[in-house]
Amino acid sequence: MISISAKNIDFYYGDFHAIKNVSMEIEANSVTAFIGPSGCGKSTFLRLLNRMNDLIDHTRLEGQILINNENIYGKDVQVDELRKRVGMVFQKPNPFPKSIFENVAYGLRVNGVSDKNFIEQKVVESLNSAALWDEVKDKLKKSAFELSGGQQQRLCIARALAVSPSIILMDEPASALDPISTAKIEDLIYDLKKNYTVVIVTHNMQQASRVSDKTAFFYLGELIEYDETQKIFINPSVEATQNYITGRFG
Amino acid sequence: MKQAIESIKTIKQSITDMFNLVESQAIKAETALLNCDRDLANEIIYLERKVDAFELIIDRECEKFLALQTPVAVDMRLIISMLKINGNLERIGDFAAGIAQFTLHDQNKGIDPTIAEKLQIRKMFDEAINMLRLCKSALFEENSSMAAKVFAKDDLLDDINREAVPVLADLINNHSANAEQMLYLYSVIRKLERMGDHCNNIAEEIIFYIDAKVMKHRNMEQLKDEVEE
Amino acid sequence: MRLFATVTKRKKVTEWIAFMIFRLLSFSVVGILFTILGFLIIKGISVISWDFLTMAPEEGMTKGGIFPAIVGTMSLVVGSMIVSFPIGVMSGIYINEYAGNSFLVKFIRVMTNNLSGVPSIVFGLFGMALFVNTLGFGDSIIAGSLTLGILVLPVIIRTTEEAMKAIDNSYRTGSLALGATKLQTIRRVLLPIAFPNIITGFILSIGRVSGETAPILFTCVAYFLPKLPSSIYDQVMALPYHLYVISTSGTDIEASRPMAYGTALVLVFIVLIMNLLANFLRRYFGNKVKTN
Repeated sequence: MISISAKNIDFYYGDFHAIKNVSMEIEANSVTAFIGPSGCGKSTFLRLLNRMNDLIDHTRLEGQILINNENIYGKDVQVDELRKRVGMVFQKPNPFPKSIFENVAYGLRVNGVSDKNFIEQKVVESLNSAALWDEVKDKLKKSAFELSGGQQQRLCIARALAVSPSIILMDEPASALDPISTAKIEDLIYDLKKNYTVVIVTHNMQQASRVSDKTAFFYLGELIEYDETQKIFINPSVEATQNYITGRFG
Repeated sequence: MKQAIESIKTIKQSITDMFNLVESQAIKAETALLNCDRDLANEIIYLERKVDAFELIIDRECEKFLALQTPVAVDMRLIISMLKINGNLERIGDFAAGIAQFTLHDQNKGIDPTIAEKLQIRKMFDEAINMLRLCKSALFEENSSMAAKVFAKDDLLDDINREAVPVLADLINNHSANAEQMLYLYSVIRKLERMGDHCNNIAEEIIFYIDAKVMKHRNMEQLKDEVEE
Repeated sequence: MRLFATVTKRKKVTEWIAFMIFRLLSFSVVGILFTILGFLIIKGISVISWDFLTMAPEEGMTKGGIFPAIVGTMSLVVGSMIVSFPIGVMSGIYINEYAGNSFLVKFIRVMTNNLSGVPSIVFGLFGMALFVNTLGFGDSIIAGSLTLGILVLPVIIRTTEEAMKAIDNSYRTGSLALGATKLQTIRRVLLPIAFPNIITGFILSIGRVSGETAPILFTCVAYFLPKLPSSIYDQVMALPYHLYVISTSGTDIEASRPMAYGTALVLVFIVLIMNLLANFLRRYFGNKVKTN
């Protein structure tokens, strides 16, 4: 089942042509990795999927993005509704200056949920799904800032999971973390794909090879190659892809 | 990490399955040869395709692991040794099928038991199969001293192989046996000796994987010392 | 090596001299503050008593207390805060969170800053013209509060704007990415974070309002009122004006002199307390947010 479908996407920051005619389809309950050098457009493209680029002035989008067969840039689309269905985790963990519990409950509260029991249940569920429950179950009222970097990032994942999205976007989620935290996040992604569609931007190619089912290689705004991860890392079709992943780029 | 652990489990299981298959091929080859059982021989030749298929699968699994997991240290040693063990097992399977071919093409109705006794064919088979079993257990239990025991057995096979030439020459000169059959039999003995060599290689790879010690191209004394350390 | 040794020695001496100068200057600033305080305390402490703080002035300001002035100042503080705080905070939020960066917004920002540079006596005149005369409130608490409110409005707007600007953008994106609206983000995430800085601006404004004399001159104060004010349309007494009057006019200046110093002491004390409170609150709330 196709979860995300992008057709002929062109995106401009002012005059700068950041995304050039990119089309791709992402299947549900899979992990897709976007790789490519800095400035290649992978993060920009990711942010199109939950309309976070709307926050930037002087941008222009051409083409169509369908999520679960719905055009997310349509006139009647409520952006905040979209962002509940398509969650996002950022590079630097950004928990709110609130307690661990309130961080995870935030999404529910801004959604109008007030049933205490439901909120509590969802918080526990989300912390479990983010593999953080055991580490925080005794200190839910403590400030989120008392957690380590890796724990904070998993808290942000739990926070995103609490509103029950179907898609989770991750923009270099582990690049600010130490190797052990990174391994935990990678294991988490492996578990998440049973129930969610995950799209992850990473500048670490080994992470992409370890974690994803399909990999998309972006370069200078273009989608150079998009295929099964196995194919890309054993025998890519395009020479530019091979040059990039073997580190032979100029 | 989880994915890597699962992949390693799969690869180890595949190699174990291949060990079992090749072992059964060797055992069947012994029975087929000494009892002149053509049906069994056909079975062995048919299953040889499965052995080849296994080799391709394990090669591909190891390739995938290298590309996707970029392993280091023990994981890397594991994959490298799995690849080589894979190749060695396939050759052993090949030899078993080769011996089965001989059984099929042998015009005479089997081998004279006294000749077989003189050439110690049964002993060779037993030793080779034991070596295979030792390797399998050593890998499964990750026990490098068990793997080291294989080296001594290989010497035995080499000795029997060497002793066979004068015996066969004698038999041919005295016209007490069919020359053609004896030549084929020598080929069987050579195959069994090669099987021992490949088991030796497998044992070396197992020790490389477990202890990161390179056992290749050393003599017996050095080997004994190294492993006992 | 020799050459470097002499250069290093010269550098060290220069540094020592520079720091001695900085130290002397800093101490002299502190010294000035303590001198003023000391002066006031010495001259005025004799009149400070419970009666002084709770009784009305008697016998032509030579005896009694300054209670009505304290009440007047307090009511002006409350009044001006009611006027300026909500408008100031909301404007600051609007400018930083909603308005774009168009020429109009830049113009508004510049004008707001200019407003804070206007001399306070001009505000007084403006207040008199608009509130006292044109709108007909007369000399009253309401006229004074409105005038003082406008005086400190730029301060509150600017502190709010700075407080919001200082908040890391990652909180905004994090909240929006969870499906919150801009308003929800401001209410639930940004305001709690900006709170300490906004409150600081609030308290500093209180200090300012307590001490301003010129604006209240034209709009609400009186030299002596027999009764305490009972409505917002009444006049009031106020500490800064009281201080001015009993030092320069009145029936017996020499005799009221100690009262003047006492009033000054109370006024300075109020402002000092406000500043210390602002500092304390900023540090206390600031810690909750900064531990990251």
